[in-house]
Formats: sequence, structure tokens, C-alpha cells
Amino acid sequence: MRDLALTMSGVEAGYGGGLVLQGLNLELERGTVTCIVGPNGAGKSTVFRVISGLLKPRKGSVLFGGKEIGGLSPGEILRSGIAQVPQNRALFPEMTIHENVLLGGYAIRRDRTLLKERLAMVAEMVPMVVERAREHAGNLSGGQRRMVEIARALMLDPALVLMDEPSLGLDPKSVAKVAELVRTMATGGRTVLLIEQNVRLGMNLATQGVVMEQGQVRLTGDAAGIADNPEIATMYLGKARNPTT
Amino acid sequence: MEFVQVIAFGLLLGGVYALLASGVTLIFGVLDVVNVAQGAFLVFSALFTWQIWDMLGFEPLLLIPVNGALMFILGWAIYRGMVIRVAPQGPGMTVLLMFGVALTMEGILNLVFGNKFKSVTPPYFSSSLTIGELVLPWPQLISGVVGMAVLGLMYAYLRLSWAGRALRASAQNKDGAALVGISNVKTSAFAFGIGAATAGVGGVLLAIMYPIYPATQYDWIARLLGIVVLGGFGSIPGAIIGSMILGLTESFANTYLPQWSSLFFYGTILLILLFRPQGLMGTRTREDVA
Repeated sequence: MRDLALTMSGVEAGYGGGLVLQGLNLELERGTVTCIVGPNGAGKSTVFRVISGLLKPRKGSVLFGGKEIGGLSPGEILRSGIAQVPQNRALFPEMTIHENVLLGGYAIRRDRTLLKERLAMVAEMVPMVVERAREHAGNLSGGQRRMVEIARALMLDPALVLMDEPSLGLDPKSVAKVAELVRTMATGGRTVLLIEQNVRLGMNLATQGVVMEQGQVRLTGDAAGIADNPEIATMYLGKARNPTT
Repeated sequence: MEFVQVIAFGLLLGGVYALLASGVTLIFGVLDVVNVAQGAFLVFSALFTWQIWDMLGFEPLLLIPVNGALMFILGWAIYRGMVIRVAPQGPGMTVLLMFGVALTMEGILNLVFGNKFKSVTPPYFSSSLTIGELVLPWPQLISGVVGMAVLGLMYAYLRLSWAGRALRASAQNKDGAALVGISNVKTSAFAFGIGAATAGVGGVLLAIMYPIYPATQYDWIARLLGIVVLGGFGSIPGAIIGSMILGLTESFANTYLPQWSSLFFYGTILLILLFRPQGLMGTRTREDVA
């Protein structure tokens, strides 16, 4: 029997009068890394907004660990174990790296023992948050910033991590570090859901791939298969296979 | 010795300014709202102090926690009742709203207290502390020290408490704060309350230093906005440095060129802004960070 972390069934959601997600069905197995790809306007970011509670689904259900979370507030969803690492602009630039990471544990601030344990856990996974604890986040490079953002998201020990374009704007060395961290998260039993414009990179990071078009899932499968599918590349990604872009 | 005396006066005055201006800059930093009613809050607190002192002969300094709490509640209520509804319309509308609040409060104060100066004169009002040749009037000394002490406590609270961290986080990046579970509405209401509470405490200090009547709110809000612009909008350290500079400027001008005092106060702001338009502590971090 499949051990599902998240199940979205027949989800419809949108903005104003329009529907972006049109009966979306998506299943994420626990401990997997799934990458969503698709053309602009396919609804990838809307999937994240629905899961994280920023957008209420009009129809359908979103089950996380067997419980319905569709329509809960972002705070409730965060506390239920879903953390998000957005595309950019998430840190507090005038605070130190330590303060930024510490604030990741805002929801558990009253339990000092747990907070300490989480800080130790995050420090083990992302050593730079200790090595450069006193530096201001405003002075970090893109790659360093992304590592701090991930570290901050890990403070709540989330079972599901949503990562929006984790490689965006990063140099290859930083991308490699982020990739390593994503794999570490999955090895530790977390489920990771990525959105990546860089299709080959995304599929390299992922174990599962999802191709979206017009608010629906068109194809799912193992990541390697999707990355190597020439038809997918031309149909949904708008270009022939390209190893670097 | 006169020179030392002038510097001491300037720093004490700067301490009071710093407390008052930090409230304005805190509210702006978190909410992007220029609270032009801070002068009215201040005068309200000062006149309330006068009323209690006049009726009960109460030591006015004992009203510091009372007025602080009272103004916190008022500020919180104004945010939850009014500012939160108008804020989506943009900063211009919130300035108009707070101007309306200031005028309304002034009108009410005029009705209740009349348009006459009120002075709180506790026993130490006209006595001084003498250290050698240095003579420091007790009202100025107490106000300056208490102002700086309250500001220090507030600063420590903002640095070390979870509520303070949440408030600073919200000021720096609202989306980032929401991602870690910080409620921007609660944080904004708290910031507005704290900002108003500084006026509550400051009003008591003002009452033992200067005569007050409702329309003096204009003079105070002009000074406070000048300090906040000089320090860099949203920066508490900037407001403190700006307050000290302007406290010293005013003290020197009052001693040596009293008729030019206001000109020196605002002229100093103008001069510094010509060379540093973002204010003394207006920060410029990497723009791609937040």
C-alpha cells in the first residue's frame, strides 16, 4: 500500500472569476522529491498557494497525512507540518542569520527545549547557520540566502517542504549545495515538492516528476523518464532537450 | 563650565526627543504609516497628567505606567478600528486619517481643557541638582533620564523578546514574516500600541517640563517628524542619533542665539539631508534580498 503524504483530488482554485486549477489530482508519496514542471500559466505556483493555505480551493480536497487541510489558514497549515521556501525575498535582511533561523521556530517559541533541539538539528544539516550566525542576512549571496531560507523552513521539522524554484539565480556551486540539502531532507523522511523552470535540474533533484498544463496534471512518472522524454520536452516545455537550461 | 552645561541640557533634551520620535519611527517601520497624530497623543497624555495632578495632587511621575498603558490601548484600538481599514488605500490615505484623528483629539482637548496653557508644578519643578558649577534643573534631569531609560527598555524588549523579533521581522519583510507564522495584523496593532505608549510616557515627562495646551501638538509633531526624517524613517537608532544632534543644536541655540532656536533646529535637518537624503541611518542593503 502506498504511503501518501499529500493527496489533492479534483481541486479547483483560481483568482477573481477565473479558474487556474481545473480538477487537479496529485499524490505525493512520503519521503519522495517531486518536481512539477510545465509552461507558464500551467498553475504550478497556484498548487503551492493552495497547499500552503494562501488560496482556498473552490472544489475538491487536499489531504495531508490523511487530514483535510483545504481552507485552513496559512498558520494552521504551517503548524500542521508544511513549510514553504519561496522563490526569493523571504529573509529579514537587517537581522543576523541566527535570528532569521530562530524565527523559523516562531510557532514553537514557547517550548524552549524543542526550540533548542531544532536549532541543533538545523545546524547539523546546514552548518553555515552556525559558522556565520552573526552575519546579517542582507549581506549574503543568493546561494547563502537560499541555504538560510531552507534552514529556517526546517525549524518546524516539516513533513512536507514546498520549494519554489530553488535554483533560481544561483551559481552551479550553490545549486549543488541546495541539491545536496534537498536529498538530505528526503533521506530523513521528509517529502519535498519542487517547482523548477530548469527542467533537467529539477528532474535530477527529484525522484518523481509531474507535468502540468492548463491547471491539470497531464503526466506523472519517475523523474528520469520525464526528463528523457523528447515529446514532453517539445510539447510542454517548449524546447528540445537541453542539458543546461 | 557653561559649555558643559549646554551639552548636558542638550543630551537630556535629546533623551526625551528620542523616546518620542522612536514611537513615530517604529510605527512607520512596521506599518508604513506616518503617524501625524503622535503630537496629539503626546498632548493628550500631558493634559491628562495635569488633570490628575490638579485634582489629586498626585506625583505626576507615578502616572508613567498608567499613561503608557492607556495610550497603548488607545493606539491599539485606533489601529484595529481605523488604520486597518484605510491602510490598503495607501500611505497617503493613512496620513489623512491620522491627521483627522489629531484634529479630532485637539478639538476634544480644547472642549475639555480650554485653549489655555496648563502647567504641572510638582515640588521639584523649580529646584536643581548642583554638581560643582553644573546646575541641572530636576524636571529636565528626570525627564531626560527617564526618557532614555524607557527607550533603553523598549529597545531591549524589541531586540530580545519574541514579540519584538516578530515586530522587527514584520517591519523588514511582511511576506517572510507570514511564512514563519507571524500575523502581520497582530504585529501591526502591537507596534501601533507601543508607538502610542511612547507618547503616553513622553506626555508625562513633557508635562513636568513645559506648559501645555492642545494646539502645541503642531509644534511637537513638526519636531518629531523632523527628527525621524533626519534619522532615517523606520530606524530607531537613527531616531536616537537624530534626537541627540537636535537636542544639542537646540540647547546651543537657546543659550547663545535664542531668537534663532527654531531656525537652527530645522536648518540642521535641512543641511544634513542635503548630504544624506536617506537620513543618518537610512540603510541600503542588497536590494535583491527582501
